[in-house]
Amino acid sequence: MSRPLLSLAGVTKRFGGVTAVDGVELLGMAGQVHGLIGPNGAGKSTLIGCITGVNRINAGEIWLGDERIDALPVHRRARLGIGRTFQKIRLPAQLTVYEAVASGLAASWFARGGRGWLHAFTSLRAPAIAQPVLAALEAAGIEDIAEVRVASVPYGRRHFVELARTLIAQPKVLFLDEPATGMTADERQRFSRQVRDVAARGRLVVLVEHDLTLVGELCDQVTVIEQGRRIFTGTPGEAQRDAAVIRAYLGTMSFVAPEVPPPAQSPPQPPAPTPGEAAT
Amino acid sequence: MSDRKRSGGMLAGVSGGVAVSMATAATVAVVIVALLAAAPLMLDDYWINILVLGFISSIVVLSLNVLTGYTGLLSFGQAGFVGAGAYTYGVLSVWGVHPLLAAIAGVALALVLGLLLGLPAARLKGHYLAIGTLGFGVLMAQSLNNMVDVTRGPMGLLGIRSFGWSHQVWYWAGLAISLALVALLHWIEKRTFLGVILKSVKYDEISAMSSGIAVFAVKLGAFCASAALAGFAGVLFASYVRFLTPDLFTSADSFRYLMMTVVGGAASAGGGWIAALVLTALPEALRGFGETNLRLLIYGATVLCVLWFLPQGVGGVLETCSARWRRSRGGAAVSTAAANAVATASSSTKHPAPDQQRSETLS
Repeated sequence: MSRPLLSLAGVTKRFGGVTAVDGVELLGMAGQVHGLIGPNGAGKSTLIGCITGVNRINAGEIWLGDERIDALPVHRRARLGIGRTFQKIRLPAQLTVYEAVASGLAASWFARGGRGWLHAFTSLRAPAIAQPVLAALEAAGIEDIAEVRVASVPYGRRHFVELARTLIAQPKVLFLDEPATGMTADERQRFSRQVRDVAARGRLVVLVEHDLTLVGELCDQVTVIEQGRRIFTGTPGEAQRDAAVIRAYLGTMSFVAPEVPPPAQSPPQPPAPTPGEAAT
Repeated sequence: MSDRKRSGGMLAGVSGGVAVSMATAATVAVVIVALLAAAPLMLDDYWINILVLGFISSIVVLSLNVLTGYTGLLSFGQAGFVGAGAYTYGVLSVWGVHPLLAAIAGVALALVLGLLLGLPAARLKGHYLAIGTLGFGVLMAQSLNNMVDVTRGPMGLLGIRSFGWSHQVWYWAGLAISLALVALLHWIEKRTFLGVILKSVKYDEISAMSSGIAVFAVKLGAFCASAALAGFAGVLFASYVRFLTPDLFTSADSFRYLMMTVVGGAASAGGGWIAALVLTALPEALRGFGETNLRLLIYGATVLCVLWFLPQGVGGVLETCSARWRRSRGGAAVSTAAANAVATASSSTKHPAPDQQRSETLS
């Protein structure tokens, strides 16, 4: 068995008195699509923030290959090969799609050994930019909107803009935070294909998703997080049969889990989310 | 297949249209430049003087474009950098240093101050950044006022040596330098990777970081470039006017520059250039109303009206005009503004061919 591309050991993140991520272990192999699931508020996005560098961890270690990255700032981690999309899409809205995707080149150009600032005055239409950008646009199926401002692109397609922007830097690890939100069925299919492609090229894809059908289709492995703790790692099929996972979800599968899950010893309670609880 | 054929046809049509529109654009540009260049032969020294000051102001406005317009960092202390450049040049030239060396020193000192201000200020956002830069401006004005041994403080710095150019030569130099800088900044913003990086930082820092952009370094670089540019304007000012007092570089002046920038459209080099000229000349042109407050009232009202009716500033008008003009000439010539309209109507907009893009750069 090869070495893991991404490994987390005892990663802990506290916000004041709240422990959002609590001693999480995770091993991600190259060529894998790794699902990260769990009820709302379980700490999935916080964990991604910890790995990408938006959140500084309080304890634990994060390794990307041979490199320990948990003390590095966000842009350095991006340059080492960590790419991500956001749950709530973050793109420079006033740029054109072409420009927004081109900006993703920064991660590879400013990487160690990259020619860095020599590229600053490169024309946007120079082959060094145009070729990778057009290829990324085509792969994402958004070449027709290249010259449209991001702000006027429909939400579902913006996921592809963000994806293209991330993939253009050829990240080793790609984090997708609830990417299927607002996508049409067609878009979801195209998206799934692209994710499988990325993994097939020897990258690791970490997928946070509430849509468990999509997770089942795409993921080789899933890690289930509940209240900041990892409660399960295995194949999607195993996850569906795992008692702890079922308890965490309580059959509500893709929607809000009840506020307080029952203690481990007691038998599973029937789900009874009141509207008030669901709203929190 | 049919799509490709059609786009090929469109392209042929476009290149014809672009050829015509380029010829027109070139003619218009030549006429405007010829008029501007010939102006000092028709104007008296008083108006030439005002226009030279307008050109120098426009360089300060361009420095604010870099910082505020492109990178999204507000500066309320830009006059501080202008003052640093101006006084460094002034003092050194009074001491007998060669004007060229003094000029380089002026720009360099402003750049260093930009770095020193940027180190804390690039970590600040919103109101805090505004207050921080405002504080810098006040600090600079007070320093110039109180370092009497060096700057002669409120007595004013006299005897600044210069290049010995006539008003006309200054006019042509100012015109050429400011227009060259406009073209350079416009090119950087619209056509280069650096422009995209700056705007990525402006619109979304988190996503910029996640794309591997060192946001802090970019902001620091923007502070340095902006300060150097403002310092350069100060050097020009000192060597042109050859008399300096600290009250030329107060917060009021910072606000004046910022106002010009906003009227010009914060991210538009061309708009900023026009706004700087107009807003420098307007108070003088209004002297016909006498030296009373009425003059300033009209001036203020004009600025308010511009902002009320043209929230994107002069630059917004320029962009709309050029987009509309391009559309009417080239049919499918793709500018970003035109493309938005086209793309929302139909999604058949093709990526523009490189040659077409290049022709746009020139138009």
